[in-house]
Amino acid sequence: MDWIFLSELTVNGALTGLLYSLVAIGLVLIYKSSAVPNLAQGALTMTGAYVVLAFSHNLGWPLWVAIPLAAVIMFLLGMGIERVALRRLAGRPIVMILMMTMGIDIFLRGTTLAIWGGSSRSVNLGVSYDPFFLGDMLLSRIHIVGAAVAIALFVGFLLFFRTRLGIRLRAISDDYLASWSIGISVERGVGLSWGLASVVAVATGVIWGEVQGVDQSLSVLLLKGLTVAVLGGLDSIVGAIVAGIILGILESVGADFLDPFVGGGSRDLIVAAVLILTVMIRPHGLFGRHDIERV
Amino acid sequence: MFYRLSGVRHNSYASDSKMFNIPADRNATVFFLLLGLAAPFVIPSLYLNSYVLPWLIWTAAALGLNLVTGWAGQLHLGYAAVMAVGAYSAVHAAKFGVPWEFALLIGGLASSVIGSLFAFTALRVKGLYLALTTLAMQFVMDWVLTHSPAIAGGSHASLQAPTFALLGQKITSDAGLYYVAFGWCVLVTIFMLNLKRTGLGRALVAVREKDFAAAILGVNSFYYKVVAFAASAFIAGITGALLVATFYFLAAPEQFTVSVSIQVLAMVIIGGLGSIIGSYFGAALILLMPGVVNQIFGWLANMLGLELGIETFAHIPNAAYGALIIIFLMVEPLGLGKLYANIRDYLMIWPFDQLKK
Amino acid sequence: MAQNDSNTKDMILSLNSIEVLYDSVLLAIKGVSVEVPRGGMVALLGSNGAGKSTTLKAISGLLKAERGKVSRGEIKFDGKLIGDILPQDRVALGICHVIEGRRVFDHLTPDENLEAAAPISMSRAKIKSEKERMYEYFPRLAERKSAQSGYLSGGEQQMLAIGRALMTQPRLLMLDEPSLGLAPFLVAEIFGIIQRINKEQGLSVLLVEQNAVAALEIVSHGYLIENGRVVMHDTAGALKENSDIQEFYLGGGEGKNFHEIKHYSRRKRWLS
Repeated sequence: MDWIFLSELTVNGALTGLLYSLVAIGLVLIYKSSAVPNLAQGALTMTGAYVVLAFSHNLGWPLWVAIPLAAVIMFLLGMGIERVALRRLAGRPIVMILMMTMGIDIFLRGTTLAIWGGSSRSVNLGVSYDPFFLGDMLLSRIHIVGAAVAIALFVGFLLFFRTRLGIRLRAISDDYLASWSIGISVERGVGLSWGLASVVAVATGVIWGEVQGVDQSLSVLLLKGLTVAVLGGLDSIVGAIVAGIILGILESVGADFLDPFVGGGSRDLIVAAVLILTVMIRPHGLFGRHDIERV
Repeated sequence: MFYRLSGVRHNSYASDSKMFNIPADRNATVFFLLLGLAAPFVIPSLYLNSYVLPWLIWTAAALGLNLVTGWAGQLHLGYAAVMAVGAYSAVHAAKFGVPWEFALLIGGLASSVIGSLFAFTALRVKGLYLALTTLAMQFVMDWVLTHSPAIAGGSHASLQAPTFALLGQKITSDAGLYYVAFGWCVLVTIFMLNLKRTGLGRALVAVREKDFAAAILGVNSFYYKVVAFAASAFIAGITGALLVATFYFLAAPEQFTVSVSIQVLAMVIIGGLGSIIGSYFGAALILLMPGVVNQIFGWLANMLGLELGIETFAHIPNAAYGALIIIFLMVEPLGLGKLYANIRDYLMIWPFDQLKK
Repeated sequence: MAQNDSNTKDMILSLNSIEVLYDSVLLAIKGVSVEVPRGGMVALLGSNGAGKSTTLKAISGLLKAERGKVSRGEIKFDGKLIGDILPQDRVALGICHVIEGRRVFDHLTPDENLEAAAPISMSRAKIKSEKERMYEYFPRLAERKSAQSGYLSGGEQQMLAIGRALMTQPRLLMLDEPSLGLAPFLVAEIFGIIQRINKEQGLSVLLVEQNAVAALEIVSHGYLIENGRVVMHDTAGALKENSDIQEFYLGGGEGKNFHEIKHYSRRKRWLS
């Protein structure tokens, strides 16, 4: 194995990993504020991409109108989901909350496909498919764009959590009752985080829709996003970025080593293994703060 | 949804540990048992084998998951994987020439072994993290099934099950297959009914409520968690094997994917965690709903003169299935079992007061 | 029960025989009436589980978070009924509740803790000056304003919790067991500051305490709550003189040791 190939695998892996971070950031936003593991984030991503397509392809509007409009609609959808479905489950056992997000996942996927159909379509962002040469390495342009979006979101959220609104959201994630006692509206904060996560889902959907086409497979990103989020610590945005890069590299280099032995497709196996090992060895992840209750 | 301060109060341990608290329940159970026995003579075989039989098998599966999730309180998102282990080992054993009785047992035991692996995760983590690990294990199992032709049965990834036989008698008739499923479901139900009367059941409930509190009371929560996972996996294994032997007739990886795990969990939750009759209701609702919804939408489309695409029709049941889960968790998180108990308790105050005696 | 008959206009807060139900079945408070004069300091005394904290939660609206609700009676703040108002809006009206157990935001710095509590409408400059005011009240906090609040000492956390509550610009400050688990000199320091703010700013204070000795030193009136009822209500001076109070809550009387007094107190509750 030559070094150029290995470094190409590494860099491409890291870029793909940052795209997984996009999904993870959405998960982290919701988990941070309300401790709800949103298993519907994959379906939200898919819905976001379809809504963008509905404006840009079905109505023929330019993307710079379609994407912000979709972001607004998804923001409202996210807030609505929290308001209607999740709020009344507060304090219920985690199994019911998980089932609820799975129900939302199934519902969103079913509805989206029933309305727009399952055939794969492309967003046509206008990013060239020609590879980008970095020295001798071949890189995909859309992956670079996606990684840049992930980094931008990361920086944006880092700054956001230092604003007054951001501090209030962090206060909510620390202690509900204390937040209420000083006049912070916990419900609105949690709703806001669902809205933000849904906006992130639009960005994720557009990028991934460009990478692999807009279809049902977008919702399968959930497992990778979930693994990244858990590896990074479910409530850490920094963790989501770092873990994304780690998982991406592990997956790309590892798959290259393993595939010849198992006959291909070992990427999913690596992801599942990382998830299991993380939970077994360090459940709170690399940067997570909640030490989970052990028996 | 609505709560009433009514029901049955116990004055002695003997009355508390009765299998049926209410005589009416026992009578109803006997009635349905007889009905189940008579079903092949009453119900046309098409309905019997395409609706009633899968319903009974999935009920057994839901009861098994209910044991670990409803009773012991351990989240399990990899139930279908455990069923797959049982199904594949049983079918392979049967193909090898092992009689089906033993093949089923082998399937159950193999599942128990794999299920206990899940349990060792449960010993370290719980709640959300347990759910995530079991989910990951499910994905590993999916991967193993699709990537190992030796297990999944060659390039077509499907494995023909040998004809089902018990005591050397080949069972091929619709009624025969139905009785096998019925028998298994009754067996699992009897086990679950008795569970709550035994020390094991009480220990599981203690572990569910607070495992370290249970440990302080002298309940070995490690042990009972493993027992719960192993017992539930045993049920899952045999159920998976019977599913293939009496309903699908060939085993394929897509019969045991993660969505099947979620489906069984949905049956348990819609039925009500820890509720036996709820598992029957939940399985029925989840299985019947897609067909019914499609009929309704087809009828509505006809009424309104709308043309619905094939693709739309294909996905509406999914949307309705998701909506069903959402609505149930919103309206009655304790499930159909609780709804049934509420109505029964209500009616027992008036007008069926005498049924209590 | 000595009910205060003075003009209600002087009262910033008045509870009129309220009842609180938890989970629609459990009656935690059975007709409590309490009044806090504008600019005054009042204490609710009583043993564990008497219903003091529940009374405060009924006033601040935090009962909602515990599936409790006020089932009877009325709560008036500044002459206005507030029973149907959301907790966050009650804070905006000027009621702030420092909940029991020093629940600061562990993963935020003290500075951020204070900032989180500032009303949304407050200007940047005002927030800055308000934070400075808090640091002036509690110099210890100023020293550690960039630390993680979870790692502050118990006294510092209590100061932070009070400072955080003051950031909401309350007119009525309700403190739930501020002395819990703190060294006596810290209790004296915290009570001293509360007294000072009360005098300087005219802040009304409703204090819940088991430490009756310390509480009766700074308040003007006291209510004794037992089993969800007000069993005694008088000025602080009169309460201090009362022999029952002395015996059961102040540790006075015939020189009994602490253990026996606790025992008595429990027996008295048992009988009542």
